[in-house]
Amino acid sequence: MTAIDLMGGFTGAHWALVGWLSLLSGLLALDETALAQTWLSQPLCAATLAGLLCGHPALGLAIGLPLQLALVMNLPVGQTVTGEASAAAVAAVGGTVLAGKVPAALGGFHGLTAGAPRGDLALTGWLLLGAALWSLGGHPLVQAQRRLHLIWMLQGRRTLRDGNLVRIERIQGRCLAATLVRGAIYGAAGVLAVAGLWVPLYGVLPAGVRGAMAWVPILASALGIGAVLERYGVARHWRWVGAGVVAGWSLGVLT
Amino acid sequence: MTEPIRPGAGEAPARLTSGVRRSVFVRTLALQASWNHQRMQNLGLLVCLMPWLRDRERDADRDRLFCRRYYEFFNTNPYLAGYVIGGLLRLEHEREGAGGLPRGQSQIFRDSLARALASLGDQLFWLGLRPAAALLGCALALTGRPWPVVGLGLAAAIGQLVWRWRSLGRGYAAGYDIVSLLGDARWHRAIAGAKRAVRVLAGLSAGWLLRHAWEGSDQVGTTPWAFLAVVLGAMALPVLVRRRWAGEFMVLATGLAALLLAFALGPKGS
Repeated sequence: MTAIDLMGGFTGAHWALVGWLSLLSGLLALDETALAQTWLSQPLCAATLAGLLCGHPALGLAIGLPLQLALVMNLPVGQTVTGEASAAAVAAVGGTVLAGKVPAALGGFHGLTAGAPRGDLALTGWLLLGAALWSLGGHPLVQAQRRLHLIWMLQGRRTLRDGNLVRIERIQGRCLAATLVRGAIYGAAGVLAVAGLWVPLYGVLPAGVRGAMAWVPILASALGIGAVLERYGVARHWRWVGAGVVAGWSLGVLT
Repeated sequence: MTEPIRPGAGEAPARLTSGVRRSVFVRTLALQASWNHQRMQNLGLLVCLMPWLRDRERDADRDRLFCRRYYEFFNTNPYLAGYVIGGLLRLEHEREGAGGLPRGQSQIFRDSLARALASLGDQLFWLGLRPAAALLGCALALTGRPWPVVGLGLAAAIGQLVWRWRSLGRGYAAGYDIVSLLGDARWHRAIAGAKRAVRVLAGLSAGWLLRHAWEGSDQVGTTPWAFLAVVLGAMALPVLVRRRWAGEFMVLATGLAALLLAFALGPKGS
């Protein structure tokens, strides 16, 4: 099925869902840096919220968990890449639902928890790659918006001459609105790209390549955890880490 | 045992009027909305201080000078910005009617406090509480239920809003004394505790992942030992090379590694 076929088959309900996902993506983009900066815009929470919105919370967890583990050390301290991780998480979840691939096709090794059915781990890996690409694609947009902020901020210097406070408040409002619109548009475009291109592309991959994608969620999670261990000194603090490993292994046995 | 430091204690506590405090608080949430590469949070800071200015009778000359004082470079941790903003409002209030706060004085107070709080905030929030919350969220996600994850997100959101509300009030009450707050040993205890939590939770995620690598090797068409070794190797890689990469690059790199591994180790495909 091509992207045009898929979108031609969209009903009003599908477009309404794209609209809601777009709004969610815009709000999460605001939360990421511009407003409040709660934990809700982290990939796991963003994907879970998108899953709840689509009526498939398990799908949100299946994509959000490995994405969160891989991105856990993306910290705003000395950061060189400012991706659009929350929009990417929303796009991966929403696009998959719109492509009609849930819930049986997903779950993967995360689906082993809480008795969920074992699903297609390779598709989870493919979606993670798509989410990572979409997040990286957001980097130049974020940087462009920051350059726009600089231009607006310099325009605000006129207030230093005339004392017009409203001008400054309007610039701040404009920056907030720009973030909301950027997140909403980028999220909606991502949902449509995943539904119309990324998921159909998975179907035409050679079987060997498709099978290889099953490694991605596990390796990406492992690398993400490795990055945490490197940052927090596993060699010096091995007792704390070791206690956690024992607890995690036991949890794995129980679940 | 030392007494906890309470800036401004012993005097009648100074307070912002509730309307101004509410308005300033809401604006502090958007401190970074207009972040730019040249002056960072300068516009956000000025917008945060405006409700206090608007509470006074309009005076274009005073407003102009006020804006000049705060249109310079400013950058701090957004979660701790309430202390600086509250402190600045207190200093402005004290110099009201005396020509306002001298520019140099506000600059020294603002810059030195912002720098110190940025450093504390990076350690406590960005390198402590945020990764700890993310890893705790992952642990909760293992239950397979969405509500614990969303619940954690909401609890973290409410917690930081309460923190920010209180920091604004404490900053105002303390004024210049806020500098003594930075020496409080509780900051460092909290940072150490948060980092310890990150280590335990990272270990927990590692243990859980290894367990499922052991059990789920058939999903990638290889043996449990080979799968376990590859997962352990991936965890060890950043530690051995002492490097971390942006998460997105790591995911893309695993795509390439996955192709190699599948052909080398797993004959089953999907």
